[in-house]
Amino acid sequence: MNEDQLLKLQAWVDGELPEGEARVVAALVETNPEARAVVTELRMTHAFMGGNEPEAALPESGEFYWSKIQRAIERETATAATATPNTISWAAVLRRFLTPVSGLALIAFVSVLSLNLFQRPGAEDPLQHLVEVENLSEHVGSISYKSQAENMFVVYLYNKDQDVENDEEFEPLDEPVLQ
Amino acid sequence: MILRLFSSHAARLFLAALLLTGSLSPANAAELKLEAKLIWATNDDASPNPEHKPVDPATAEKLRKVFKWKSYFVVNRIVKTVPYRGSNRFELSKQCTVEIRELEGPRVEVKLIGQGKEVHKTTKTLTKGEWFTYAGDDKNESAWFVIITELDEK
Repeated sequence: MNEDQLLKLQAWVDGELPEGEARVVAALVETNPEARAVVTELRMTHAFMGGNEPEAALPESGEFYWSKIQRAIERETATAATATPNTISWAAVLRRFLTPVSGLALIAFVSVLSLNLFQRPGAEDPLQHLVEVENLSEHVGSISYKSQAENMFVVYLYNKDQDVENDEEFEPLDEPVLQ
Repeated sequence: MILRLFSSHAARLFLAALLLTGSLSPANAAELKLEAKLIWATNDDASPNPEHKPVDPATAEKLRKVFKWKSYFVVNRIVKTVPYRGSNRFELSKQCTVEIRELEGPRVEVKLIGQGKEVHKTTKTLTKGEWFTYAGDDKNESAWFVIITELDEK
């Protein structure tokens, strides 16, 4: 049985169906054993619940009880209305403004660092004069110096052992590099 | 309402600043346009090699202030770009090549290669207008120079 039929059976048991539909459902219950079983179960449940449902009795009259609820609602509404201005505290306002501002400040700081905006135009990099030199041939020595007047950095290469004449690795510097 | 608008504007500004920061940083790092010159120096007035051309007077004067030789001749001149965080080779002669790598800083690593063998390596900041020079003795009291400069135009 589908859900719709089950709901109609329940409504029929509760006497909530119009006459026409009630006749159809009654016919169904008579002919369909499954429907009959559902109706039997529903009636049993109804009987059980009807006999055992606890009854809540109001300690006072219903009118007075509902008026108490209404007064409580009105009191809470009034309290909320008067408390509304206090919900946005100065701390909350400050936090709301300062959060994006601090984010922007962080981005500005990173931007300044990445773009070297603090470095004055023409200012010298403190590591500018740091030079690493490495002789890659054991037969070659080097002297490096900087001519400040001519703005020229020179690495002068020389043969470490001028007496070695038959060493192949030594030859390149003996030979002219030009041609 | 105002607070909400402010937050919305702040969020947009935040994103814009983030994009701006991201877009500006790579522009700060650019490729290098370098000139490498192989120069031969002698105390004679002329070079035995007719293909050698004298350097321009300003260059000769500058070299004379630093070195002892009288005459300077251009053997070869190469202008190339070195890509950002990349390298390029300047083959100045069959025997002489320099490999230049652009490094963080910005600094450059200059490697001198003589007859296919790595001879020397220097890592330094190359400032505009500065000459980075490799030099060495040659036959008959002559000398060779490899001069590397950064060109202004990109």
